[in-house]
Amino acid sequence: MLLQLLANGLCAGALYAIVALGFGLIYRTTGVFHFAHGAVYTIAAYLLYLFGVTMGLQPIGAVLIALIGAAVSGVLSEVVVYRPIARRISSPLATMIGSFGIYLFVVNAIALIAGNETKVLRPGVDVTFRFGSIILTRFQLFAFFAFVALLVAFVFFKRTQLGRLLSAFADNPMLVEVLGWNTSTIRIGVFAAGSILAGIAASLSALDVGMDPYVGMSALLMSAVAVIVGGVRVFEGAIVGGILLGIVQSLVVWRLSARWMDVFTFIILVLFLLLRPEGLLGKAVRLEEAR
Amino acid sequence: MNYLFHILVMIGIYVILTQSLNLVMGYTGLLSVCHAAFYGIGAYASTLLMTGWGVNFFVALPIAVIVSVLLSFVVSIPSLRLKGDYFVLATLGFQAIIFGIMYNWVSFTRGPYGIPGIPIPTLFGFAFDSPASYTLLSLGLAALVVTFIYLITSSQFGRVLKAIREDEIATQALGRNTVLFKTTAFALGAGIAAIAGSLYAGYVRYIDPTSFTVAESLFLVTILAIGGSGNIQGPVVGTIILVLLPEVLRFLRIPDTIAPNIRMMLYALALILVVIYRPRGIAGEYGFE
Repeated sequence: MLLQLLANGLCAGALYAIVALGFGLIYRTTGVFHFAHGAVYTIAAYLLYLFGVTMGLQPIGAVLIALIGAAVSGVLSEVVVYRPIARRISSPLATMIGSFGIYLFVVNAIALIAGNETKVLRPGVDVTFRFGSIILTRFQLFAFFAFVALLVAFVFFKRTQLGRLLSAFADNPMLVEVLGWNTSTIRIGVFAAGSILAGIAASLSALDVGMDPYVGMSALLMSAVAVIVGGVRVFEGAIVGGILLGIVQSLVVWRLSARWMDVFTFIILVLFLLLRPEGLLGKAVRLEEAR
Repeated sequence: MNYLFHILVMIGIYVILTQSLNLVMGYTGLLSVCHAAFYGIGAYASTLLMTGWGVNFFVALPIAVIVSVLLSFVVSIPSLRLKGDYFVLATLGFQAIIFGIMYNWVSFTRGPYGIPGIPIPTLFGFAFDSPASYTLLSLGLAALVVTFIYLITSSQFGRVLKAIREDEIATQALGRNTVLFKTTAFALGAGIAAIAGSLYAGYVRYIDPTSFTVAESLFLVTILAIGGSGNIQGPVVGTIILVLLPEVLRFLRIPDTIAPNIRMMLYALALILVVIYRPRGIAGEYGFE
């Protein structure tokens, strides 16, 4: 029983980790608290529905379109909203308010076009697989394998020139510019990559449990908490935080009920803010170094 | 005529809400996305007191304010020592938790069914049961709140808040305990939002959790961003414009099923445009620099 719960938690946490990795990547490198990450997530889920169900495309094709759509919407929010704001006033508060604007606009546009009700991609019960005493559905396995694949890709990416460049950019964007890199291109790349991660998680979760226009909000809340829990200043923080949240929530569902998941997520956040604001993997830094 | 009174009552309620958020966001420079949670806490606290224990509205209101102030510390104590983004996230989480409690704790709040039959507020035997008298109550309380905010923000306390907004480290260097000031401003904002909640509950006489969502919190931020914040007139201008806008849309004969979404899209668009082209809003002083 406990093993099954841990496995469920791990698979749910894998999805959180994927969205959170995207959110953390954007937050750490560009400093934008990308509230609209939730909107990107919702867009990907609905694109999958539009192309997979309404237009009847092959699942792989629909997922690819959803990922491209996610990347485009992430880049658009940078180019159309964040960059003009940064050009006039460089303040995180203004950027965040712009981000709220994007989120509200997208969610209401989707509700207007597609309706408020929950949509499911595939009716009926999913195929299950049995491993000893653990039973997992096909989409739980998908989530897990996607996560492992991304983890491997991430470990390799960190060691490449580009990975080092991103770390440097996160620490000091001005210096990277001095070295001759085009910072706005880097930012666009980061928004595209982070949004694709949101799109992957959104597609997997949409295939599993379906969607409504508000799924993005809870995905955003989970990923932001995961990033804080794991540690903002390291990219791996999001992964550790996401997995941890998934497991804790699965235990909450077992002990109490699924309805109290958000409440427990918030309690974890408050505990971390009080006791270890730098996160599990983070190191405490002086205020001048923090960004 | 009753239609006009209804709009005036709503303007009174929203002036209280936006002025209290103004204290936090406009004067102190803290972006809070849980103001609707305190609005809801005020509404639920006074409603439960009135329907459960038969407490008079004017006794329930101050108790609701105290409850809201105490709950504000749950957010402010862990997060106000840290950097601004953590505070925003903590308020977002708090908004989610309060909505979760209102929606899921059915035995206490009746959850999605809402609470009907909230008694009409009475004061010394006078019942505020007509639209005109409720307009008087709503605008009267709004005037009191505006006066209160005006007095405290033009005092030394208000100047310290503005100093924190402009440069927190410099304010600390001048020997002010900035965390204490921020916590106080946030608690005052939460308490005043509870007044609006009680007023709303006594007016519509039926409450359910859907009035106190994160979208409502974002709506309040939108009013401040569009009208302007950091002074007294900005939130009032924003409130009047954004409370009247749906009524204008009604005259355009947009079907009721899609009207709320169209309205929110317009607000969102206005929010983005304002933050890019006119960060101070229409009549505000603070432009998020």
